[in-house]
Amino acid sequence: MTTRVIALASSLFTLACLVTPAAAQQDDEALKKDLTAVIALQGQPCGEVVSATVLKQNDYAATCKDGNKYHVYENDKGRVVVEKQK
Amino acid sequence: MSRYSAVIMLTVLSTGCMHETKPQTQPPPVAATPEPVKAPQTAKATPATAKPPSPTSKAPATTSKTKPAPATTAKTAPSSATKPQPAPPKQAAAATPPKQATAPAPPKQAAAAPTLDLDGLEARLKQTKAIGLMTKLSLKNKVDDLLVQFRQHHAGNPMPTVAELRRSYDLLMMKVLSLLQDRDQQLASDILSSREGIWGLLADPKKFAALQAE
Repeated sequence: MTTRVIALASSLFTLACLVTPAAAQQDDEALKKDLTAVIALQGQPCGEVVSATVLKQNDYAATCKDGNKYHVYENDKGRVVVEKQK
Repeated sequence: MSRYSAVIMLTVLSTGCMHETKPQTQPPPVAATPEPVKAPQTAKATPATAKPPSPTSKAPATTSKTKPAPATTAKTAPSSATKPQPAPPKQAAAATPPKQATAPAPPKQAAAAPTLDLDGLEARLKQTKAIGLMTKLSLKNKVDDLLVQFRQHHAGNPMPTVAELRRSYDLLMMKVLSLLQDRDQQLASDILSSREGIWGLLADPKKFAALQAE
């Protein structure tokens, strides 16, 4: 009985280890696409967001394929702002 | 001597055939003038043109040669009064199918217009996973900006003209559709079909006021 519990726990742990990074990677890709679309909607040059960092809720730092960096956030008026970082 | 008589006989026969072909096709007037000079040539050509219905082997060869003749007959058809008559029914018959094909299109557009469901589209836009949260917020900002411009226009401000508003509206629609078309094609097509209906609501001051009041 104890052996079965250990085997079940280890398999669940392994499954969790495999699933969590995959889900996180999917979320990361979705965020990159989202930010790419936002930056493009604002008419800013970017091409494609290659990395994104969550600063806080609805507040991101994005790095584009062409080297541009943007601060994308929602201000207190509910507007999405894209600021180019130097 | 016998050859001359044979040529004369052939010429006479060919002219006879030419008379028979006159009612069928129009080349005779063109071929009638060079008869004396090209009598041997027409004698060879006319049996070929007269026989196309029956022989199958000679038909392809003669059709390639006789192709210019129908072209000239088509061009000369307006000059003669009797032979263009068969052609117009064919043209009319050929012209009617496109009219029938184009006729069903307006009912589809007319049917698409009444199916405008703004609330449903709004809910589906909020729920769709094809657009990210920040993109949705950004799009909402743009929609609000456009509504402000419409308000200014309907208030009597000359600055945003209808053409400018239409351009902004079309651009915004293109942005939304470009975001949706790959991952939520059904919603994209529904928005596309509602495009003119939504514009009608926005462009009409009364409908726009009613829309804002809701």
